[in-house]
Amino acid sequence: MKRRLPRLRSENPANAAALALAAAMMLVPANLLPILNTQISGLNRTDTIFSGIVELWRQGLWVIAVIVFTASILIPVLKLAGLGWLILSAHRGPSNDVRRLTRLYAALDFIGRWSMLDVFLVGFLSGLVQFGALSTVEPRSGIIAFAIAVVLTVLATQAFDPRVLWRDQAPMTSTSTAS
Amino acid sequence: MSAHPQNLTCRLCGHEHRAVPLAPGERALCVRCDTVLAQGSRLGADAALAFTITGLMLALPAALLPFITAGKLGHERVGLLFTGVNGFRDNGMHLLAIWVLLCGTLVPIAMLIVLAGLLVPARLGWPPVQVDLLSRAAHALGYWAMPEVQVLAVLVALMKLGKLVHVAIGPGFWCYGAMSFALLLAWRSFEFQSTVRGDASPPS
Repeated sequence: MKRRLPRLRSENPANAAALALAAAMMLVPANLLPILNTQISGLNRTDTIFSGIVELWRQGLWVIAVIVFTASILIPVLKLAGLGWLILSAHRGPSNDVRRLTRLYAALDFIGRWSMLDVFLVGFLSGLVQFGALSTVEPRSGIIAFAIAVVLTVLATQAFDPRVLWRDQAPMTSTSTAS
Repeated sequence: MSAHPQNLTCRLCGHEHRAVPLAPGERALCVRCDTVLAQGSRLGADAALAFTITGLMLALPAALLPFITAGKLGHERVGLLFTGVNGFRDNGMHLLAIWVLLCGTLVPIAMLIVLAGLLVPARLGWPPVQVDLLSRAAHALGYWAMPEVQVLAVLVALMKLGKLVHVAIGPGFWCYGAMSFALLLAWRSFEFQSTVRGDASPPS
């Protein structure tokens, strides 16, 4: 018999909380395990997310170091912290700050996808840098954990229904806003 | 969507608004949470369709033409749209290869096709086909279409490799970048058109 899949988005923030928790757990191996092995001109090095960023900085590639740091470390942490805050607020009941919380949700929804940057980057470098035996780049298992963490954070944002923040608010009295 | 065809519901807070026509460039904000509900198009009613067709036309050259050419000691390598997918596949990470293929290529193209399926019949005056289903599909695909992230990743790879080897951007990359921009504009035009013709006054 054909059954409809249960909807991910729910008035109960438990789904979002479970997914956010799973994402947070997945970020541990994602950051501890190596994501990339580089062999260029006889020099062999294996990098984690963080050591890769440090190496970019050391080479003077500050702009990319900041971009990769933002996408791979800052955004996942901010996103999980923000979701945690939203879930707690929904749990606590009516808040005076609903408007700001709704904006926070919109921002989290927008930034989450940029974490995929490192996954695309590692894939592209591994596919491109294959100059015979001299220079090769290979992905390592940390990137799998990282990709799973990113997918879980996107799912966690989808599972959170921002309407619960407004559930117990007083009815609107203002009339119209246009700009 | 909203219960009444002339009402529109804020996608974030769920507040309902009565629909009114908007002048070009005029924005309608939710009275409760300030989210932009709709924007009067400056480019006319066909903008979403025009961007969708542009995106679809760019998809093929983006997939076939070189993204990046990298050379070292006489070896030359050409990076294509599918280079990232091959990078994971060749190293035994098949699921990740599929994931990158989906988010970077298949889902964005599927989203353009779904938008075309919604907009072409409307433009030609044909009876609408499965509008509700297609519209829901477009929203669901929107979460996983990430061509702009792959554009940034290729630029980062380019700068990183530029320290080690000679690199040059190829036409495939420009086509892909333009496709990703066309998708973004098509989606925005479509969403702001269809979510509302509404202003921000609550239903009376």
